[in-house]
Amino acid sequence: MNIVKTHGLTKRYGEADVVSGLDMEVAEGRVYGFIGPNGAGKSTTLKMLLGLARPTAGEIELFGKPFNSRTRAEILKDIGSLIEAPSCYGHLTGEENLEILRVMLDLPRKNIDEALSIVRLENQRRKKVSAYSLGMKQRLGLAGALLSFPKLLILDEPTNGLDPAGIQEMRELIRSLPEKYAMTVIVSSHLLSEVDRLADDVGIISDGRMKYQGPLDKLHGHDESRSLEEIFLELTGGRRSL
Amino acid sequence: MIKLLKCEYLKTRRRYIFLTLLAVTAMALVWTLNGRVTEDTRRLGWMIYLYQLPVLDSVIMPLMAMLAASRLWDIEHRGGMLRRLVPVSGRNELYDAKVIYGLSMLIPCLVIDWAGVIVFGFVNGFQGDFPLRLYLTRLLCALLPTVTIFLLQNALSMAFRNQAVPFAVGITGTFVGMFSMFLPRLPWLRRLTVWGGYGALSFVGMYGYTAETRWRDVFFTVDEPDPFAAIFLTLAALAAYSMGKRLFKLKEV
Repeated sequence: MNIVKTHGLTKRYGEADVVSGLDMEVAEGRVYGFIGPNGAGKSTTLKMLLGLARPTAGEIELFGKPFNSRTRAEILKDIGSLIEAPSCYGHLTGEENLEILRVMLDLPRKNIDEALSIVRLENQRRKKVSAYSLGMKQRLGLAGALLSFPKLLILDEPTNGLDPAGIQEMRELIRSLPEKYAMTVIVSSHLLSEVDRLADDVGIISDGRMKYQGPLDKLHGHDESRSLEEIFLELTGGRRSL
Repeated sequence: MIKLLKCEYLKTRRRYIFLTLLAVTAMALVWTLNGRVTEDTRRLGWMIYLYQLPVLDSVIMPLMAMLAASRLWDIEHRGGMLRRLVPVSGRNELYDAKVIYGLSMLIPCLVIDWAGVIVFGFVNGFQGDFPLRLYLTRLLCALLPTVTIFLLQNALSMAFRNQAVPFAVGITGTFVGMFSMFLPRLPWLRRLTVWGGYGALSFVGMYGYTAETRWRDVFFTVDEPDPFAAIFLTLAALAAYSMGKRLFKLKEV
């Protein structure tokens, strides 16, 4: 079953199509790597999936239901997200930040402990977020996204600001989510090597259009020696993401 | 809604917004009640304050409304938390929670200010019967422009990430409101601006005060509050609320 399905999804700002006729399909229990050069339309697409941006045209289906103003609240309860820079209140502690989401989502208190433990922030829970490093904020943002243990997790550049050890930790965590918590994960990243290591399926977007979508191993084909970067450059006409 | 209001409370921890508003209210009260109570002021006390309160309200309340709205939205803009909150809660409900929470801090301050004058009057033995009906009318006449200004400032603080914009509007409006009371030849300035509402809805006139005779020959007139101004403010409040909510619905976060 496809957890996410879009048909002809389009977002226009003025005269420019940031996302153009995008057909996206994300299968249940998979890690979907969403890659594309800067400004390709990745974040805009993810924002539309979360109701943060209104599509100009096209349809979105989430969990097999059409995503519209009537079904929006019910559908979004099952989605956790971390979009662009980590969102948090700097004047509050990490725990207090999660408490706001917990109250809003009506979740048990133990979810905070569990989410903090997953992202390894238990010892920093009572520290004000303004004193967190960018990597810690990123992990707190992920804890917020995981708080309800949603069916679908949408992560936009989750490794931003993390050191190499943190990136590896995040990669292992994301990889473990489908099996451990029966989650489907969409990860957008400009780090192709990261996506190569953690995704089951990939969607490559360039100039707002989907250039390839399918299993990662099928993309590599029979030629294992070709890196994802080489294939990516070929598909996007040489536009580099980095 | 209760959940969202609790969240608003949690978000504003360590920001001391209500405490700041209370401190401004206390300062305003000290400013209002400062001065020697004489035999004349004791005789005319209830009416003197009914006459003076709109002037004070026109300065203090718009600033407090601006402060409350700005602080409430600034934490969302700085934290980028709307990206996280909008998917888990409806935009309408989020906006309403901000409005209710802001007013729940602002209105008690207005009531404290109002009640402070009454307590002061009783403690200092103001003469004559306490004009309860006039004081209740006075409270409503202060409440209407305060709510309207807050709704306007709330919409501006939500729409602009840079809080200098709502601050500039608020400060300019406060000056317009205050000076409109001293410009009787420009009645439209009072009647057609939300900040002028305090003056437009003031219903007590004072005559006979001179530097020499001071309070000795003073007398007061009581009219009905201007119904046109009341209707204008009610419509402006509805417009500000609807506009803010609409903008919030369209806002990409």
